[in-house]
Amino acid sequence: MDILIQNIITGVATGMVYALIALGFALIWKSSRVANLALGQLVLISSWFTYSMLVQFKFPFWLGMILTIAFAILLGWLIERLALRPLIGQPILSLIAITLGLAYFLEGFTAFIWPQGQGNLPKVFPQTSIQIGPAMIQQELLWAAVISLILFILLSVFFKYHRMGIAMRATADDQLAVQACAVPVNRVFSMSWIFACVVAAIGGVLISSIAAINYGLVETGFKSFSVVILGGMESFLGCIVAGPIIGLCETFGGSQFGSSIKEVIPFIIIVIVIMIKPFGLFGEERIERI
Amino acid sequence: MSLPCGIRNFSYHTDIAIIRTKTQWVLFILFMLALFVLPLYLPRSWFDTVNSIGILLIAVVGLNILMGYCGQLSLGHAGFMAVGAFTSALLTGNLHMPFLLALIISGLSAGIIGLIFGIPSLRVKGFYLAIVTIAAQFIIIWILQNWTDITHGSNGLDVLPASIFNWQFDSEIKQFYLIFTIAVISILFATNLARSRIGRAFIAIRDNDLAAEVMGINVFSYKLLAFFLGCFLAGIAGSLYSQYRGHITYEDFTFQQSILYIGMLIIGGLGSSLGPILGTVIIETLQKSLTNTVAPWLEHTMTFMPTGFSSGLNLMLFGLAIILILIFEPRGLAHLWALFKSSYRMWPFSY
Repeated sequence: MDILIQNIITGVATGMVYALIALGFALIWKSSRVANLALGQLVLISSWFTYSMLVQFKFPFWLGMILTIAFAILLGWLIERLALRPLIGQPILSLIAITLGLAYFLEGFTAFIWPQGQGNLPKVFPQTSIQIGPAMIQQELLWAAVISLILFILLSVFFKYHRMGIAMRATADDQLAVQACAVPVNRVFSMSWIFACVVAAIGGVLISSIAAINYGLVETGFKSFSVVILGGMESFLGCIVAGPIIGLCETFGGSQFGSSIKEVIPFIIIVIVIMIKPFGLFGEERIERI
Repeated sequence: MSLPCGIRNFSYHTDIAIIRTKTQWVLFILFMLALFVLPLYLPRSWFDTVNSIGILLIAVVGLNILMGYCGQLSLGHAGFMAVGAFTSALLTGNLHMPFLLALIISGLSAGIIGLIFGIPSLRVKGFYLAIVTIAAQFIIIWILQNWTDITHGSNGLDVLPASIFNWQFDSEIKQFYLIFTIAVISILFATNLARSRIGRAFIAIRDNDLAAEVMGINVFSYKLLAFFLGCFLAGIAGSLYSQYRGHITYEDFTFQQSILYIGMLIIGGLGSSLGPILGTVIIETLQKSLTNTVAPWLEHTMTFMPTGFSSGLNLMLFGLAIILILIFEPRGLAHLWALFKSSYRMWPFSY
């Protein structure tokens, strides 16, 4: 019984971390219909930047965080301006391929600047485990879960009520019509990439302060595609519901069939979901016309 | 594409020929001769590069059928190659099957695995399909990693060099002839496939699959056929790879490799028979010379950087090349070559 509750809480908390990364994906997809496959690499590069700020230059934590977020904003703006904007209106294959190129570039860039391959951030959260009912749980995981929940609420409110959020949703719906209504579509795209990079940076700092900075972050990025697929690509709610489901499947699968299966469970879920319900739990089914 | 100046066709036979003029025949034969006497004047240190170009070429040609002609993205091509490599290694190693038979069976097995992961292409496309193939890559590699009874996990398998009718391909030069014979055959196969009914159906599906369906093309079976053919060639490449390297583990077929193939195809040019050749040859040569000469030189001269920084150089430049090609010449180097050729033909009135 204790183990059950322990597994549930750990699973939900790990799932929330996936959900956090997946939010960054949904943001870009929602506004510009670009599938960002460089998700893990964005997390990786911003974690390494934080590492530089906090460990190599020994800045205080608050300054390091501000600089990291500034870096993420700059990165998002640069990516959109230099790589994505010239491709507006190109076929989807080019859009996917350019994010792959971006992924390669960012990965090479991190290996170029930070070739050590492994780094540890100073611990942000208290290390003591806390007791919930009969189960012991690492406090950091709970903090990560709470922060992703807060980000989810903020983003949902932003998309629902803020002018820019509404413009982003409208752009996703019909780019031409929105342009006719004098919405600055370029700025919408810019903003969505900037937001996504900031979310990725926050996710990166959270994950790498819990574990370590290494290539595993990129794989976490791939795993969070399962969250996106299960939840439905354009839904924040989908991310926040599907994340814990994936996390639970992972922990329970791991405890049932040995821990090595953990690595592959998200991918099996992807295949099953796409075969049965390709648009996910909360996604919109798109009807195509010629 | 425009014909050379002054050439007219008087029969369908000449109209559909790939090689049309005497000059083209001469150039083609000269090229094939130059290719097949290459081992005689190639420095020894280049054999490894040239042979791996040949193997990659087969895989990328397969990817071109799938992605360039049929428009179905496969991000798991290295995984399908791994299926072929391990099948061939097991068949020749444990069952002592003749190499040619093992080659065909490993192609078929990779093709069938490709079919399974191609089934979702009935309902989804674009990004969803890309994700399924990413999943395919990770699932295949995970199975190879954990099915230790057969694949020996990270210890890998030892593979003997191929032998056909008591003819041992045990040196680099013999391997060269084996690999390039199969590479030339698969390039010819892919080129002719693209001009057939099947190839035109693929192109119709790529351009607009709904319209293709309305025109009476059975979209699902053609998509599956594309998956099968693409993965079949990947399996063949994997089989050749296993017997060429002599030792394989699951770590040889990473996700990065899969992206590498896509990058080569994009840089070379999607949906042309020249594209995969240009992409593979140029990228592989550049990468080998980067890792072998430029990277040590940089490590030596730029001592102010942390050690080992040049390991990222390869990835970085390659990613940059993909981005630049997609922005400035989305149809790849093959298109640049076609432009050059037509302006040469029109000279001095090229426009």
